Amino acid sequence: MTTTVQTTAAVSLRGVTRTYGRGSAAIRAVDDVDLDLPRGGWTAVMGPSGSGKSTLLHLAAGLERADAGRVVVAGTDITDAGDQQLTELRRTRIGFVFQSFNLIGSLTAEQNVALPLRLAGRAPRRSEVRSVLASVGLADRVRHRPRELSGGQQQRVAIARAMVTRPDVLFADEPTGALDSTSARTVLDLLRAMADAGQSIVMVTHDPGAAARADAVVFLRDGRIVDRLAGADTHAVAERLAAWER
Amino acid sequence: MLRLARAGAERVSFGFPPREGIAERWSLFVGATLSVCLGVALVQSSLLLLITAATMDTPGGLSPTERLRFDDGRTAAVSMLGVVMGGAAFLAIFIISSTFAFTVDQRRRDLALLRLVGGSRGQLRRLLLGEAVLLGTLGAGLGIPAGLGVMAVQAWLMRRMGFVPDGFHGQWRMWILGASIGTGLVLAVAGAMAAAHRAARVRPLDALRDSGEATRVMTAGRWILGLLFLGGALALAIVAPHGGPAGGQAMAMNVPLCAAVAAAAFGPLLIPAVARLIPTGTGGPLGSLTRANLRDGRRRSASVAAPVTVLVALVLGQAGASASFTTSGIEQLRRTTAADLVVESSGPIGERIAAVPGVASASTEIELPAQITTGAGEDRETSTITVLVVDFAAYARTHPGSEALLGLDHRTAATGPGGDISAGTTRVELPGLDLGDLPVAAGVPAAVSGGADLLLPRGMVPPAQLTSAPSATFVRVTPGTALPDLTAHGKVSTVDRWLAADAETRGSTSNKIMVLVLGLGALYALVGVVNSVVIGAAARRREFAEARVTGLSRGQVIRAALAESSAVSVAGILLGLVAAGGAFIAVLNTTAAVTGTATLDPPWTLFAGLTATILLATGVTSVITSWSATRERPVLLLGARE
Repeated sequence: MTTTVQTTAAVSLRGVTRTYGRGSAAIRAVDDVDLDLPRGGWTAVMGPSGSGKSTLLHLAAGLERADAGRVVVAGTDITDAGDQQLTELRRTRIGFVFQSFNLIGSLTAEQNVALPLRLAGRAPRRSEVRSVLASVGLADRVRHRPRELSGGQQQRVAIARAMVTRPDVLFADEPTGALDSTSARTVLDLLRAMADAGQSIVMVTHDPGAAARADAVVFLRDGRIVDRLAGADTHAVAERLAAWER
Repeated sequence: MLRLARAGAERVSFGFPPREGIAERWSLFVGATLSVCLGVALVQSSLLLLITAATMDTPGGLSPTERLRFDDGRTAAVSMLGVVMGGAAFLAIFIISSTFAFTVDQRRRDLALLRLVGGSRGQLRRLLLGEAVLLGTLGAGLGIPAGLGVMAVQAWLMRRMGFVPDGFHGQWRMWILGASIGTGLVLAVAGAMAAAHRAARVRPLDALRDSGEATRVMTAGRWILGLLFLGGALALAIVAPHGGPAGGQAMAMNVPLCAAVAAAAFGPLLIPAVARLIPTGTGGPLGSLTRANLRDGRRRSASVAAPVTVLVALVLGQAGASASFTTSGIEQLRRTTAADLVVESSGPIGERIAAVPGVASASTEIELPAQITTGAGEDRETSTITVLVVDFAAYARTHPGSEALLGLDHRTAATGPGGDISAGTTRVELPGLDLGDLPVAAGVPAAVSGGADLLLPRGMVPPAQLTSAPSATFVRVTPGTALPDLTAHGKVSTVDRWLAADAETRGSTSNKIMVLVLGLGALYALVGVVNSVVIGAAARRREFAEARVTGLSRGQVIRAALAESSAVSVAGILLGLVAAGGAFIAVLNTTAAVTGTATLDPPWTLFAGLTATILLATGVTSVITSWSATRERPVLLLGARE
């Protein structure tokens, strides 16, 4: 069941906890986190390996269920949402981009991008899908299949697929993690342009350069938020990350 | 996805399934379609032949005796085709449902991606069931004409083996179209349903990462199915010794079917565990890789091994049980026949032979077909049987264990070794002669090998009925005298030679029945085995490419895949052997209970041949599929283009 909540945040977490394993083997991946991610802003989540970054992202996107606390996405409390509500949420309010692109290999770029709309029961116009692909610089790659595209191009198709439903929030899990520096820069430029146009973006990254392109950076350690930075450059982000990794 | 196919020209069109999807997953779709096609063909052929035999008209111009013999032959053919039909249905259900479940399982990742971009559980289920409907219909559509070919082969086999008259051909029935399409559809959808339900239920992130619920190999459904069929196999094995000769045999023959389904259900637990114990012949890193793959691909291994297990259990268990009961029957006949010579002739020649010098006693058994009617009102039932007309006293002397006959008068019939008639009252009609309601007393204990169902005393049947009927006279020679010359009375054999010839006939009949019952079914199961190896390799192109970029040569990848496939096949064969072993235990207990001597005659030559065939088929298929899957340069599969 979902309920509508009055909030200015794109994503709001209150007392969210997620534990894996049981007994002595239990690991608290996210530990009592309170976090508001602003609407129309780009927030990067950083932290040492195993700090709970990806789990936090999955909880915020409704891909994992919290053991305790509440999660509100774009004004909708999804804490107790059932599978159908979460499916609806993924179709209409949330876009997700993975490090490994996760495109369907048998479909063309155009078909991959159109897929979420088709699943939502719409028959998208070709021009609509192509304009989204054009917006990520792939107007000339619409009929290519993933294996015929470079990593950067595949990630841009994945971003186009996530954006085609005009989601309230775009979640990105290490979107540049598998890309060379040139492709990574292209993808980050794209995300920056989207954020400047008012798109809410939450991105997990371990790359200070990528995090520095965001409006704000949240640092996580042992499942807890330990620091925040706003408007910092790459050097400042790297220094702060190094301090928390010590 | 079915709805996606209807997109207009200016809309983004997907087609169904996507053309590229077919190219990439052709082996999954072809495998699933083939399993339906052959399953439907086999069931349709068996069903049409069964209906044809059951409705076969008795030819005109036959004498009453010939008419009854024809009826008896028809009943036997219908019974046999019933077993063939049962076997075909069992295999079709098993092979089609497991193939469809496997094809769904092989696409977990793609299905998870659909969920992540907004696909609902219902959409996934509809997609998979829609595919099952499409492939089931296509397979059944191809299976209908294929079934006509199978029917021609089965009818030819039956004619050649003498189970049906020369002119026997399966007859087409229009309604079979609906039955065959329905069979293909229902089995395909039923097979895909459980897998589709499971694939839709698993959380997308788990399916994508192959973690959490997605890694659980033993579902509640598998446990229930496995325990249910294991319980069934145990129950059959326990009850079989108490089921008499006919019931016990039927139960023992069904033990391997139940045990095989149970073994296949527990496959994800058992197959990798057993396979890891089998030396793969590849040491070092290749051996480690093979063992790791066996550990990691538990569901794949179990799916590949399942048809192997069923094939071995079915062929070895049923052929072994059949051969053992035949051997037991021969041994029992040997123990219950006290004579020196046998004269095969016609009519009641006992007195004439007894008069020959040197003959101590002679017992003539004259065989006649008869129609019996039991029960009354709605329970009234008429069937054609074989009766033996005998002299009770002489019969009892010749067949130890039949002493109960000595107390019967010439107005009472007695139960025969066939065992299908109980003591009571039975109406008996011989060809052209109604004997009326006869009291039937307990006479001869039922024999494993069957025989005449009813013994009639000589005085009950007029001599005219007996003159031309085939007879066997068992002769005891006076001790201390030379064997008398009885060749003037018929074909003379020593009892040992007669028993040997009888054993050969019975063995040959038993083998023919097994070829009919198992032959095409076993071929279908073997196709199922090859199918599962192909489907298992279809989704491994990326994995093979990863192994190659890690440093393995193409040959090493193919060798590792072959070692893995062979280990899985051997594990499947061993589980099949265990399932067949269940039948063997039932056979030992049943033969001991019925004849007093536990008998087992496992067909080891058949087992060796079957094992070699399975290993060759899976080995060659594995090499071809892994060779084909590694044709592309690995970097093209793994690396993105610049």
